[in-house]
Amino acid sequence: MRPIGFSTGALAKGDFARGLDLQRGAERIDAVELSALRDHELPALAEAAASLQLDAFAYVSLHAPSKLQNLDEETVFGLLLRLPEWPIVVHPEILQTPSLWQSLGRRLCIENMDDRKTTGRTVEELRELFEIYPDASFCLDLGHARQIDPTMASALRMLREFGDRLRQLHVSDVGPRGEHLPLGATARRSFAHVAHRVPGDCPMIIESIIAPEAMEQELDFVCAALEMTLTHAASA
Amino acid sequence: MHARDIGNRVRSVVSKEVGRSGTFGGIVASHELVHYIAGTRDSNENLTRRILLLSESRALTNPLLRERVIQNVLSRYVVHDRSVQSRRGIRQNVPHFLLNDVVRYWRTMASDYASKMWERQREGWGIRNVKLRFSRKVLFIWGLLASFAAELFPSPELHQVENDDEYYRLLSNLIRSLTDVSPLELLARVVLDCEDRDVGDAIFSSYDRFLGVLANPEARTKLEEVVFEEALAEPAYAGLRDTSQRFREGVTRLFFDAHPKLPGLIRQYGVF
Repeated sequence: MRPIGFSTGALAKGDFARGLDLQRGAERIDAVELSALRDHELPALAEAAASLQLDAFAYVSLHAPSKLQNLDEETVFGLLLRLPEWPIVVHPEILQTPSLWQSLGRRLCIENMDDRKTTGRTVEELRELFEIYPDASFCLDLGHARQIDPTMASALRMLREFGDRLRQLHVSDVGPRGEHLPLGATARRSFAHVAHRVPGDCPMIIESIIAPEAMEQELDFVCAALEMTLTHAASA
Repeated sequence: MHARDIGNRVRSVVSKEVGRSGTFGGIVASHELVHYIAGTRDSNENLTRRILLLSESRALTNPLLRERVIQNVLSRYVVHDRSVQSRRGIRQNVPHFLLNDVVRYWRTMASDYASKMWERQREGWGIRNVKLRFSRKVLFIWGLLASFAAELFPSPELHQVENDDEYYRLLSNLIRSLTDVSPLELLARVVLDCEDRDVGDAIFSSYDRFLGVLANPEARTKLEEVVFEEALAEPAYAGLRDTSQRFREGVTRLFFDAHPKLPGLIRQYGVF
């Protein structure tokens, strides 16, 4: 079975503890991404990491800050090293000193970007990054890939070319300003076209920003999109 | 960037104003380009903008935005244009919708030439005639070659795909990559596949002469002002007319004889 769960930041912005609490005990949830998307969130998370109750989760990853606003690169990297051996999902723009991040090997998990960014958006741009970070793994953000290419051909090519690096998926709809939204019908349909390329055991992290009471429905939508695909793949 | 800024930037590179038909020089929303393909809501302007977007557009400010609109157009032409499955299980690898629209565009340009001859009482006919013989024809060639992309420029991954849905998405992506290749360069790529070197000479020496004449302000003015009844006495026009015949012969040999794949493709898809 594919581990599935939410980013803590999607459920409770800036409050990883609440984001975790909301998921513990949920029947279908066995994966989580701890979010430190804003760099001021990272010190508290690093401090609490060793004592977090994570037994309910078969898969845990950490989303590194997307921008350096209050902390410098070296400080952020030092805090990340204090964490358990979780995959560290990064946006390419914080990778300012390659030698630093190369030392993370496969733990470094590079995410494809939306169109507000200037790199990591397309297959070609990701290829350049993986040349610099040859051991890095890959987080495919389906919403970002669809924003860049609504036909999903780019997502397909990412899966074909970087499939052996794939560590986890990000799933959500993405709005015109890059905001993560609940999964709409057209996004579900788009994702279904490529999900047959995603290994059945690849963890899926939902980034849709939703109220806690909408969690079950969002899980239903995400699972349905994948089930459609599995049916397609089986009949192809 | 505002339309006026875009206009100023274009004028800093190209001093000539856009044509008076209104097809260019304004703001166009991508919705019409993507959703009004053929059918009653398409128009000559929309068709022209759409095919030129594919064949020779470049982004001034946001390349990904251009790419996204093109991907959406190609999604209509390629991903959503499916034919009934072949009894022998052979996959349709030439997108007929795209091919038909490209052919329609070429014939529309030719018909519009005749229409403008009538409406404008032959004003400016000479330059339009010459462009039809060269640059407009090259746009048509780009469209044909792009439609035949699966046969002419297959990526290794395209051949490996078993899933039809995946195949058409990758084919659409392959054609998208050709939208970054200028029509002349794409033509050169297939010319290089020919053993007959005269074909390349006939095509590119002729085209070079066409570009040379158009780049000469004096000759260009003569082409713009040449009187229809005195056309063959005007060296700028008459010379290019002769050159265009050599160009056409080169292109005809390329498509019908010399290339290893094009004659078969044209025979199968070009007319009937």
